[in-house]
Amino acid sequence: MKSFQPKIVYFLCTWCGTGGCETAASYRMSYPENVLISRVNCTGSLSAVHILRPLIEGADGVVISGCHPGDCHFETGNYRARRRIAVVKSLLETLGLGPERVWFRYVAHGEGRRFVDTAAEFNDHIKKLGPNPLKMRRNT
Amino acid sequence: MKGAQIPAPKGIADGILSFLKKGLQEGIFDALLLPVKVPAGDSFSYVLMRETDLMDQASPLPPVMPVQGAKALSNLTRYGNGAEKIAVPMRPCEIRAAVELHKLEQVNLENVFLIGLDCPGVLPLKEYLKNPKKGDALYRKALQEWALESPRWVCEICDPVSPEAADLHIGIMGAPRGKLFLIPNTPKGKKLLKRLDLKAESSLASRQTEIKKLAQKRTKNKERALRALRQEVRGPERLLEIFANCINCHNCMRVCPVCYCRQCYFDSEALKMTPDNYLMRAQRKGGLRLMPDTLLFQLGRMSHMSLSCVSCGMCEDACPMDIPVSRIFTLVARDAQIVFGYLAGRSLQEPLPQVIYREEELKEVETPYQETYRPS
Repeated sequence: MKSFQPKIVYFLCTWCGTGGCETAASYRMSYPENVLISRVNCTGSLSAVHILRPLIEGADGVVISGCHPGDCHFETGNYRARRRIAVVKSLLETLGLGPERVWFRYVAHGEGRRFVDTAAEFNDHIKKLGPNPLKMRRNT
Repeated sequence: MKGAQIPAPKGIADGILSFLKKGLQEGIFDALLLPVKVPAGDSFSYVLMRETDLMDQASPLPPVMPVQGAKALSNLTRYGNGAEKIAVPMRPCEIRAAVELHKLEQVNLENVFLIGLDCPGVLPLKEYLKNPKKGDALYRKALQEWALESPRWVCEICDPVSPEAADLHIGIMGAPRGKLFLIPNTPKGKKLLKRLDLKAESSLASRQTEIKKLAQKRTKNKERALRALRQEVRGPERLLEIFANCINCHNCMRVCPVCYCRQCYFDSEALKMTPDNYLMRAQRKGGLRLMPDTLLFQLGRMSHMSLSCVSCGMCEDACPMDIPVSRIFTLVARDAQIVFGYLAGRSLQEPLPQVIYREEELKEVETPYQETYRPS
């Protein structure tokens, strides 16, 4: 049987998350190929819909990385993102849709190691969880 | 806390209306926003009135809620306060929605007197429309005995019985026969009483016991109902079965008082795709339901407004397919509001959770990093 290759969406903020990704690149580090990176201006600019839509339309997990607390380029974006993600996770928990498929972890510009580790760790975490039951449903 | 008393010899509605009439005649308010029975006799709509002659047809506590009062108030004061004072008697859930809308800057309360009313719950709109006369009779009985037969689901579990965000609360429960309580909650409410030469001197002890009794009963209902519901909606299988009937009409969004966006994301071009996109999704899922994005709409709406949801039940009343929208929203909203220790509509001073933050909070949302990750 073909082993399960999850599809993962990784949102990185322009200022820190993407920077971590670039640092990783400059050190020739690698991360799983099935992690699809998407750059957003700030984690605070993510709406709940940006997390829900991939989960419904084909992703097995969504991970979000932005600046560490106090480092946000827009000062408060990451704190707001944390609140917003808390709402989404609470919603997924209440309805039994798998809040563990959403991760939020800070990655700073220089933390290339942390970026590739997060991608690999989340990938393994989702592999263990198995495919997202929501993504294969036709009646969404 | 003490309240004033006003006479209501000819019934509750009449007592409320004569108080409002007096306020209008004395120039304390310049206009009223009141539900009036439509000429066909089977529904009610909010009417903005400046004269007393329309007041005879008004019913401050109609048996149904076809329009959320806060939504009507938002239409009126969205672009700021007018020069004149408007009094708006509303049910507890409408007051709470108005408070939320004020925080969202969709209602301006500066020249508005929010007047709270005790509410025994309302009947489901569809049931009422089948036989308005029977509904009216049921409601008259409910106002006497303070127990409504077959109300809406959300009304049975509504436990914030007497909201304190209203400037002035008209207390029906626990008032002596032929009287109503006037309870000032804010400086604005106190000033209003003073101008009417009413003194808040009556004890509210009898009222408080009754309120407590009702609140306890409803809280018990709530715990039981939510526990059962939690099992019914859990998991993609059950959830999608519930939403399978959804025809994507977005009525629930349109009647929701808290859904105020001028352009809803779910109505926008952002979700309208080329045929290729749909074909690709159909291939991936082995078929794609059209209209698409039903679940995204429901979940998205929950995540957008569950922090301000006041469980008024408008969405379920408006649903042509009888999907238990307001129940699911109540459940989701409760869990989400607990995360922030927030209760929608409780107070004007409490800031919206999504506009503030604390530096040290919600650590459970973050996934901690182990120094280096070693795959097992």
